[in-house]
Amino acid sequence: MAAALHLNGILIIVGNYGSGKTEVAVNLAVDQQAKGRQVRLADLDLVNLYFRTREARHALSALGIEVILPPEGWLQADLPILVPQVAGLIRRPGELAILDVGGDGVGARVLAALGEAFQNAPETAQVFQVVNPFRPNTDTVARCLAMRAVIESASRLKVTGWVGNAHLMDETTADHIRQGHDLMLALADASGLPLACMAVADGLMHTPVVDTMACPVLTIRRQMVPPWRRPVVLSGEDTILQ
Amino acid sequence: MSKVLMKGNEAIAEAAIRAGCLNYFAYPITPQSEVAEYLSWRMSEVDGVFLQGESEVAVGYMIFGAAGAGVRVFTTSSSPGISLMSEAISYLCGAQLPAVFVNIMRGGPGLGGILPSQADYFQATKGIGHGDCRLLVMAPASVQEVVEMVMTAFPLAEKYRNPVMILGDGLIGQMMEPVEFPDHLKSEPTNKDAWASNGIDFRKGSKRNLVRSLFLDPEKLNDNNLELRAKYERMKREEVRFEAYNTQGEYSVLIVSYGTMSRVCKTAIETLKAEGIEVGLIRPQTLFPYPEIAVREAARKSSCRAVLCIEMSMGQMVEDVERCVQGARPVQWYGKCGGDVPTPEEIIDLVKRTLSPM
Repeated sequence: MAAALHLNGILIIVGNYGSGKTEVAVNLAVDQQAKGRQVRLADLDLVNLYFRTREARHALSALGIEVILPPEGWLQADLPILVPQVAGLIRRPGELAILDVGGDGVGARVLAALGEAFQNAPETAQVFQVVNPFRPNTDTVARCLAMRAVIESASRLKVTGWVGNAHLMDETTADHIRQGHDLMLALADASGLPLACMAVADGLMHTPVVDTMACPVLTIRRQMVPPWRRPVVLSGEDTILQ
Repeated sequence: MSKVLMKGNEAIAEAAIRAGCLNYFAYPITPQSEVAEYLSWRMSEVDGVFLQGESEVAVGYMIFGAAGAGVRVFTTSSSPGISLMSEAISYLCGAQLPAVFVNIMRGGPGLGGILPSQADYFQATKGIGHGDCRLLVMAPASVQEVVEMVMTAFPLAEKYRNPVMILGDGLIGQMMEPVEFPDHLKSEPTNKDAWASNGIDFRKGSKRNLVRSLFLDPEKLNDNNLELRAKYERMKREEVRFEAYNTQGEYSVLIVSYGTMSRVCKTAIETLKAEGIEVGLIRPQTLFPYPEIAVREAARKSSCRAVLCIEMSMGQMVEDVERCVQGARPVQWYGKCGGDVPTPEEIIDLVKRTLSPM
């Protein structure tokens, strides 16, 4: 198991609907940028309509992170738009290019369309599958592996690591995080793939269970909030514990 | 069952199954397509039926047929799709058949947009179809509440032999919240012998159910309308539901708001409270029947100087608020209907402006 997270080149974030891919992608981007790396983030969610990376675009831009999106006038279009800059990003990812992909196999299918770009990429992409065990379709090791198979088949890429994102929004307790961590360890064991990191909301970072984890921990400062909530201020402080 | 994290649309689908509804017909439309997507695999696990109709018009009559046969049935759609179903909804009311319709509203008119809206209030509560027809309309404000409302909707539809509508805005369908499900209900309407036209068995008995909304005899048509009217009056007596928030003590402004819009209002109310400005909120959970007495009494509280109706439309529910307040206080509408939801800051500013010149 990885004791630290080494991210280079292309990092693709996949997972089932509502697993928290966007929060993981955004917070990873901020963390890596704060560590002095040049980060670019592409919103490849072509299937979902609400609560996408594009909603955090202003906060990310303010931190100097380039967000690759469809043109402003088409951000709410009810049709999939894949901008050509994404293929360019894959061929020349720079220090770190993070691709936030849509949910399930349906959302991951766009990656297959970028197959030629991946073949010409300077290095193999890392592909992290985000899992929230409190979502209905990924509550057991078997279901997580089934979701992985669906995503790999649709994307024609291989998952290379897991991100555990165990939460029930505001109702998350230390016990939920512990249960989630246990399931992720079992999943890492069954799949032979590393648990790249656990994601934990900023308000729960100081619960004792976090110190016992055998993997890096990513602080989630929630950005995808309903209109009666304000997003947490993004910051690269205190994110990946190594 | 312990809590899970679900999107509103997924929760609606699961709630219907747990309510014992194993028949779902639909046609996809943003922002509610996840209901159909979920049920496309989930219905087969419970030996239920999911069929995609060739259009919403077809779906409306698939619902009519299934309801007429005495089974629990529901559909989900969004604004333009509901317009296409409105003829069938009127037929269901006329034939006194129970069914559940979920409208996850998007911006309009026409194709409008795909972001949240509450602009189908008039349609749902006053103009769902031709003739003197009404729906019992419930408006959820959270994913847990939409689950409870969907599960309540089926027995209510059967109690009144009338369609029930869940009216949620796009956020209700798209947002994720922790949710838990109550136990399964029975899978068949308990009173279906009163209307179900389900086959040859009835030829042996003395009673034969006929599903129809055609009454050419003027007296019989009038009788049918009187029967419907009596049911709608009974709904007004027995089914009104609302939430009163921060109305125990004194408040200088009353807000009336429903659905997720009311949650933005609550954030504003809490911020204003910290500044020493008290604002009460009435949140209708049923839009028909409307909580008339609650709104009237809350508006007439002696400390209350003005009533604000805040909705994601260009001013629809405000007409019901004015009807209830009966001129006792000034009533003002505030809203947006493009997809952007009014923010807590806008509401705070509105409350302060409302109070300042008085």
